[in-house]
Amino acid sequence: MNSAEEKIVLRLPARSEYLDLIRLTLYGVATKVGFTYEEIEDMKVAVSEACNNAVLYAYAGHADSDGAGEMEIRFVRTPDALSIIVKDEGASFDAASVAQKAEPLHGKSIHDIQAGGLGLYLMQALMDEVEVRSEIGTEVVLTKRLVKSGELA
Amino acid sequence: MNQNEKFQLRTETQEGRCIVYLSGELDLDSASQLRAAMAPLMELTDRELILNLSDLKYIDSTGIGIFVSVLKARHAKNAPFEVEAIPPGIRKLFDMTGITPFLTKS
Repeated sequence: MNSAEEKIVLRLPARSEYLDLIRLTLYGVATKVGFTYEEIEDMKVAVSEACNNAVLYAYAGHADSDGAGEMEIRFVRTPDALSIIVKDEGASFDAASVAQKAEPLHGKSIHDIQAGGLGLYLMQALMDEVEVRSEIGTEVVLTKRLVKSGELA
Repeated sequence: MNQNEKFQLRTETQEGRCIVYLSGELDLDSASQLRAAMAPLMELTDRELILNLSDLKYIDSTGIGIFVSVLKARHAKNAPFEVEAIPPGIRKLFDMTGITPFLTKS
């Protein structure tokens, strides 16, 4: 493992009542790393979108429980970036087909607008890098680079 | 700023207008609360339906999705609907997704 990499791991039930706790934790971690308020607000939305997917779809087919699978949020800090990895162990979704639907509503008519696909679109628009891995479950890797003050963005 | 705020809504009915004030964090967990509150209001076609977001602290695609469905339902009934007092951080997400011109008159 890269010694310049530090991890904070949060493991919790994949239920919507825990989403605020994830945002609070993200706020704490991102503040410590040195991100600006606006960057943190961007990351909050992106991370929530990834977690929403885990809550809504990962364990949807599991009638045996109240949908209480688990999700894991890993905050990985490197010298110049923070990656937030949202992982679930539920039914994988087809990342390629989801990516195709990730589009905004610009230039559409009221009849054509759909909210579906906005989540992934927002993740891509708000983070520097977004990677979706589907093997056992789904892993969404959201990365924001740290722009040090005095540096050109 | 880092305190999470519980989602709340308050409805004010005036002559010809129904204003719903949203505050706190509108996420996947609070979405059902908004959907339930909006369902009967969407049927009131004789008055303008307004969502006031001045105290809304957080929204993501879940909330935006509810706004889209309200917008479409009101449009289908030819009934007026508008979103007002949009805070800058939320306006940024609306602009990014392209929904702003559908929700505001100007």
